[in-house]
Amino acid sequence: MSALRWSYMDHWRADTPRGPMTQYGSRRLMDDFVKQVSAVGFQGLDMFDFQIYGLTQMFGSIEKYQEYLQDHGITKIVNLFRGIMYDPRVTDPHVRATHDEIVESTRRMLGMWENLQIENLIVMPASLYPDTAPVIDDKIKAAAECWNRVGEMSAGFGVRTTGHHEFFCAIRTERDILKFYEWTDPRYVSFFCDTAQHCIAGVDPVALYQQLHGRCSGFHFKDTREVDTTQAFAHRPDAELMAPQTARWFYEMGTEAGLVDFPRLMRALAEHEFTGWITVEHDKANIGGDYAESTALAMWYAKHVLAEVYS
Amino acid sequence: MTGTARLGYAINQWKPNFDDFTRREQHVRALKVIAACGFTGIELRAGTGRWDPLGRPASIAANYGSAAAFIQLLRQIGIEAVCSWYFDPGEPIGEELSPGRSVLDAADHKAIAESVKPFTEFLALSGGSRLVVRPLPSAWQTGELGAGALATAADGWNQVGAATAGLGVRVSLHADCLSAAADASALDALLEDTDPALVGLTLDTAELTLAGLDPVAVYRRHRDRVDHVHLKDTHHVDEAGERLRPHAEAAMLQAGGARGIDRWFCECGTPGGLVDFPALLHELRADHYPGWLVFESEQTPNPARSVMLNGWYARQVLRL
Repeated sequence: MSALRWSYMDHWRADTPRGPMTQYGSRRLMDDFVKQVSAVGFQGLDMFDFQIYGLTQMFGSIEKYQEYLQDHGITKIVNLFRGIMYDPRVTDPHVRATHDEIVESTRRMLGMWENLQIENLIVMPASLYPDTAPVIDDKIKAAAECWNRVGEMSAGFGVRTTGHHEFFCAIRTERDILKFYEWTDPRYVSFFCDTAQHCIAGVDPVALYQQLHGRCSGFHFKDTREVDTTQAFAHRPDAELMAPQTARWFYEMGTEAGLVDFPRLMRALAEHEFTGWITVEHDKANIGGDYAESTALAMWYAKHVLAEVYS
Repeated sequence: MTGTARLGYAINQWKPNFDDFTRREQHVRALKVIAACGFTGIELRAGTGRWDPLGRPASIAANYGSAAAFIQLLRQIGIEAVCSWYFDPGEPIGEELSPGRSVLDAADHKAIAESVKPFTEFLALSGGSRLVVRPLPSAWQTGELGAGALATAADGWNQVGAATAGLGVRVSLHADCLSAAADASALDALLEDTDPALVGLTLDTAELTLAGLDPVAVYRRHRDRVDHVHLKDTHHVDEAGERLRPHAEAAMLQAGGARGIDRWFCECGTPGGLVDFPALLHELRADHYPGWLVFESEQTPNPARSVMLNGWYARQVLRL
């Protein structure tokens, strides 16, 4: 029996006669997407929480969509990524006055998914770095208070709230990340390790996992060829797509010149007897690449390289 | 499916033009995609010149060091064998200063048998067992062939089959949609005149369908001779007989013919596809077919997508 199962985080684009489209555009595109993801061995699917609206229109309900996935070889929807656009006037973890809205809007969202067995609600635990700076302890404490409340609420749905630290997130350095987990309640807030994001931020994801393995509830396995050497994390209005350093930060694991040491990470997982889902992600793969190929290459790497270390 | 059939993929789809798919890293990426989708064999296509590094054993050796080094790379990636190699004697071979040879010309038979030897040796080394050949030129070039011409071609393939048999490689006749062999009576005659011990039949589902033949019926008729299978689908039948008109390779297959067809072939399981794969698999299972099932997706706009869709269909629908 394998200790690990693989899930796919959806950022998919398909080439169509009318240009690139997501699979939410038509049932035919959805069929193709699900078949391709299933074909290479994924058993789970991760997605943004707001996709429930389009999926409900397409399938009648989110439960029927999961049944459809099961008919095509995908066991379940595993994790949701919370899609909140932070704004200090409305919803921003370091602004205490907005916490009620964050908690209640998240409660409403989780209510829509309550008939599924979602494992993690993945959140960016703070706003963009340039919208938060200077990052001081009180702002990290405020964010910790926010996610403690959300985590306690989500536990009622059987869902763990877990922090995912984008390289451009205000809580991005190793020191600040460790403070955040010191100030959050382990019962309510977990750590979600995104290998490429930490690497870009200059944080060794394996060392970070070693420190936080007891809090870790999942992974985004993706690679990068770049460490942020230009303070791209502070670039306004956006670092991910608009910073001058590179047009493409993310690649599939196993990519040539990739900076993440996945075999070492797998040894660490084995050491700590991690079991459960690992999510593969390679967002923005269509910038000079192709989602289908990146997905197949990533799973080739998982089956032929990583499985030799731990499976 | 029977415990013995194995799944392969034809890598020709990655090379739509003569100057595509030349770099080693491109090959590696394609092979990883194929392996990731559960296919354990690849079929290569014979080619010529420096821009076809997988076209000939000598080209593979020049690019990878040796046949053994390439085979070792395949196995590191998860590909167990080059299961088959497609060879059309009518195509030019620069390395042999040949403008192309014709199996309808008895004087060419010896040269064709000599020409396939390196492919045979490579297949034997790499765990392969089929030299898939174009049995007859395009129908628009040959016109209707009489019994004598077909007997000459059959004799040629018997000679080639005899040359490959010693290394455990069988010659397998592949009737593509334009070939004069994609005709029920011509195919019957070719198989009647060839030695079953030396020459078999590759059943290509979409090519036969496009030419107006039912691949399941062809299998039932020639089940004892089918020793290789190509699986792909199509939405089209050439009801207007465009395959018989001059320059059908360009006018029909490339340009799309009178209907302006963008893509003649598609992945197995594509909605509206004409091939009845479950029926064919039922027949193959009944016969405990022991050979390779090679999926293809020529004319695909996205090779990785096609391999993934075919891999899903093989596993989830055909239960292979």
